[in-house]
Amino acid sequence: MKRFNKCTCQKMVILGITLAWLSGIVSVDAVNAAEKINYRLKWLFNASVVGDLYADVHHIFTDYGLDVRVKAGGPERDAIRELELGYAQFGVASADQVIRALSKGAPVVVIAQLFQVNALQWIYRDELPPIKRLSDLKGKIIGITYGGNDETIMRTLMAKGGINSKDVTLFSVRYDYTPFFKRKADIWPVYRNTQGVFLSAKLARAGETVRFLDPYNFGVRFVANSVVTSEQMIAKHPQTVVQFKHALLQGWREALRPANLEKTINVLKQFDKDTSEALLAQQLAITHTFIQPSPDIKIGSIDTAAWKETEQIMLAQGLIKKPVNVEKALKSM
Amino acid sequence: MLLRRIYQFLIIYCTGIALLFLLKYGLQLSDYVIPSPSELWQTGCTEFVRYCKDVADTLSVAVIGQIISVIFAFIVGIVGRKATWVGSIVKVAAYNVQAYPIVALAPIIFILLGDGFLARLLIAAMICYFPILLSVIGVMSEPVVDIEHFYRCTGRLRWQLEVKIRAFENLNKLTTVIAGSATLAMAGTIVAEFIAANAGIGYSIRIALYQSDLARILSALFVIGITLSVYQGLLEWAGALIKKGWET
Repeated sequence: MKRFNKCTCQKMVILGITLAWLSGIVSVDAVNAAEKINYRLKWLFNASVVGDLYADVHHIFTDYGLDVRVKAGGPERDAIRELELGYAQFGVASADQVIRALSKGAPVVVIAQLFQVNALQWIYRDELPPIKRLSDLKGKIIGITYGGNDETIMRTLMAKGGINSKDVTLFSVRYDYTPFFKRKADIWPVYRNTQGVFLSAKLARAGETVRFLDPYNFGVRFVANSVVTSEQMIAKHPQTVVQFKHALLQGWREALRPANLEKTINVLKQFDKDTSEALLAQQLAITHTFIQPSPDIKIGSIDTAAWKETEQIMLAQGLIKKPVNVEKALKSM
Repeated sequence: MLLRRIYQFLIIYCTGIALLFLLKYGLQLSDYVIPSPSELWQTGCTEFVRYCKDVADTLSVAVIGQIISVIFAFIVGIVGRKATWVGSIVKVAAYNVQAYPIVALAPIIFILLGDGFLARLLIAAMICYFPILLSVIGVMSEPVVDIEHFYRCTGRLRWQLEVKIRAFENLNKLTTVIAGSATLAMAGTIVAEFIAANAGIGYSIRIALYQSDLARILSALFVIGITLSVYQGLLEWAGALIKKGWET
């Protein structure tokens, strides 16, 4: 009995030390202004994150007393998880990610909405009749990423247009565009400001012109990239959060200012060496229309109605089991 | 053998899950980061049948891919066992193909074969082929001096006999490598399904990843693991039977 107790005690101590060590690694540490702040983007460095890169390269974060490390995202990255694990203090996430996280109790807070209009659209060759009404989708082979937010948006469009899955053929989309080039799909999901630009250019070289199907034109408002942080960060370091948000949005404003076009292109060229300057300029111009669709909209402002609509869409499609009241997680600080 | 494989997997899987839960509750992480036990159980129950079908689909491709790999590895290994110019070029070609990342080759494969069964099969075969090849080349290029010497001296050592002697003397090694390559064939097929395809467990995992649903991923891993354990156990059992047959 004595031996058992001793063994048990030893095991408990080891377990305790392991847990303490792990929590030292992965818990959200106190963030002082002088300490490094990790900012995890949603995707790779491209025109969609130009404001973030601009703030970094032109030392705007530093001017605000912050030492920010801007980290590229990717399909395997999840900024919200990293916030909770303490690997990042700020991140970019799409609305569907935020709503899913909230539905599972993640303490995530939205502090700014970068894209006022979702850049996700569908590209199609203009040899096809233009899609002016949703009923025009009938009979089409539609590319969707199963499980992706383009599937959610397309299913919403179909529901709005009274189209059932028998009226269309859904084609599973993957990383490369070969099926679209080989005409195995009629319309293909793209981010209009990045993929949409280079695909248009590529097809133009082959003598083909394209059109885009924009869900926004059919009344679907599905919020895209937003800046997120954790409740703990807001509670413990509100000043850092405010400073970060101001610095970041200043970066976006300056990046999109026409007078700074050359400087902005130079920033993009540092990170996106494969895209020509002309295409970068086009990508930038289109990105501008999504970040600030009209001059009276402030960059970074949160469109609460669109967030609620996004939540409703996810509820209707069974992607979340019950309402999360997303408006409670939106904090324009 | 089969039972041992299964309970070994269960121990590993349960240990992994227990560690995850320890981390979850130790650090008070939300269900978004690590699902709760009840969520994991519910998801497992809901998705089990579907994932079993998906894994069966994946496994069928993996088994065919593995058979093709074994056949090719033996052909290349036997041809490449001699230090001839042809043998050397065969080895170099085999090593080079392995050095290319599958993700980079995938678009070429899809252009040539489409994104259905054949593309999955080829990628599975490419991933599990190399370790088998290395072992086969290692076995086939290493003379069994004691035995071969007699046949060589008597002028009866034809290449078929040489291959048989070397295979028999290294049967344990070959069986282990072939059983082990089952994991690689399965992994290869899953990678292929992940990159393309619209069927199989890799495809289901990709969808779960898009939706940040770790409970579904963990359920899928359980089904993959248990299926692979059974398959590997069967391969080892078949290997033991073959060995016994050769010895008698």
